[in-house]
Amino acid sequence: MLNVEKLVAGYGKVEVLREVSLDVPEGALVTLIGSNGAGKTTTLRALSGMIAPWSGRVVLDGAEIGGLPPHEIARRGMAHSPEGRRVFATLPVQDNLLLGAFTRITGSRPKGDVAADLDRMFALFPRLAERRAQLAGTLSGGEQQMLAMARALMLNPRVLLLDEPSMGLAPRLVEEVFSTVARLKAERVTMLLVEQFAAAALDVADFGYVLENGRVTASGPASALKNDPAVRAAYLGQAH
Amino acid sequence: MQILGQLIVSGIAVGMIYGVIAFGYQLTFVTSKTLNFGQGEALMLGSLVGLTVVAYTGYWLMLPVVLAFGMVQGAVVERLGVRQAIRTGSESGWIMATIALGIIFKNLAENIWGRDALKFPSPLPEAPLSFMGVNVLPMEIAIVVGALGMMLLVELFNRRSIHGKAVVATANDRDAAGLMGINTSLVITFSYALSSMTAALAGVLVAPVTLTGASMGGALGLKAFAVAIIGGLSSGFGVVAGGLILGITETLTGYYISTGYKDVPGLVLLLLVLSFRPSGLFGTAAIKKV
Ligand SMILES: Nc1ncnc2c1ncn2[C@@H]1O[C@H](COP(=O)(O)OP(=O)(O)O)[C@@H](O)[C@H]1O
Ligand SMILES: [Mg+2]
Repeated sequence: MLNVEKLVAGYGKVEVLREVSLDVPEGALVTLIGSNGAGKTTTLRALSGMIAPWSGRVVLDGAEIGGLPPHEIARRGMAHSPEGRRVFATLPVQDNLLLGAFTRITGSRPKGDVAADLDRMFALFPRLAERRAQLAGTLSGGEQQMLAMARALMLNPRVLLLDEPSMGLAPRLVEEVFSTVARLKAERVTMLLVEQFAAAALDVADFGYVLENGRVTASGPASALKNDPAVRAAYLGQAH
Repeated sequence: MQILGQLIVSGIAVGMIYGVIAFGYQLTFVTSKTLNFGQGEALMLGSLVGLTVVAYTGYWLMLPVVLAFGMVQGAVVERLGVRQAIRTGSESGWIMATIALGIIFKNLAENIWGRDALKFPSPLPEAPLSFMGVNVLPMEIAIVVGALGMMLLVELFNRRSIHGKAVVATANDRDAAGLMGINTSLVITFSYALSSMTAALAGVLVAPVTLTGASMGGALGLKAFAVAIIGGLSSGFGVVAGGLILGITETLTGYYISTGYKDVPGLVLLLLVLSFRPSGLFGTAAIKKV
């Protein structure tokens, strides 16, 4: 489904990603873990076109998408719920969701039933339903995170990139985020999940990659990574 | 009292024009944090193109032609003067480029239509209507209706249509809008097109009341810039209030002091704006909103 080969990217002259390769098979939940500054966000940005890859290949459904502008990549079915949520603050919740379906409404992706999907999102995130007319900027952090995820799902994506959906949330909400991810996995939504809560991420994921200093240093089935002594020592210690 | 009423009515018509031009500044500023300093020239070109077209089509059929011309002209300004600056993150490249394009447009207009002020035929009766002793030109009413109508239509488009929402999304967060599949470069080109279109409309609305000519744009553009800064570059109808205040102040100055000083309040306003917000002209307005 999504294949990344030797992806190199950075900012200005600073190289951040050094030949990152990873695979996200159809229907799988793959997690990318690593400490702060390892390059997780940069990886997702390079995949969705927010920054242009310097070299390497990004292949979605057999077609090379590396270097395309973000709107072209979205039109091919990649949804990205970015770090920091980035909801459209001055627009109501409902409009944020409709914009998630922009490619479908305007015909660059199969339309499907946008209204039914909207209802589905409101069923998945009942708090958004109560606040559908409220401006997104006035939502709480947890609600904004739900909105960012729901907005990305409205694309009916082939693959969904989630960048630290638990960031800055109270423990109860973190749990809620993870149970939502588990539900989406049960619905066979293909996902690449970036997380700081490595243990929880490996619990729900099928596969995992460990990123260190812009390099993939370990990878494998999530259960195997969880038991890998090196990974345990570095990422599954007392902190999480 | 009657005279005061008269002056206020005239001031309202001029003020609406400032308001529309300032509204045009807003349109591009929200999506791209840049604006067209040749906005006055966009108005002038719209008006002169309208003058040429009106001879063949009459006033009302001329309008869609001028609106379309305005859109193309705005898109050209964005492509030639602004896009590269945005791409390279240049802080000021677009300022010089849009001023330069404005001067080129003015020279072009001088060569085509000459340097003299030209009379623009009025589509409405030129005899004033009288309300409680205050004379109102039908065209002045048309200015107010046309200007407000245009702004309301743009607002309606932004709120109701998915493409309008895409414009608002781009204004909110350009990167996130791109992730939705919105071509944000195209949105910015479109906002320039819309901005020049409103200016062109203002041009053919005001021309029958004033006169038209290659040099009509410069002062209008500058004064409307002051109005836009005061009324708010980010959004809202503050520009209408700002425009009306300036328009009325001008007609009062023209009557009670001297018509020779009519342009002074607006330019003083501009100087005040520039001296009280020297560095933060663009930045603070943007930050306040987000
Ligand atoms: N916009 C940026 N400009 C320059 N450097 C950046 C930018 N964003 C991130 N970096 C740098 O890139 C590296 C990787 O950052 P990031 O991908 O955000 O890490 P992670 O998401 O794993 O915490 C860090 O050293 C960070 O300082
Ligand atoms: Mg990050």
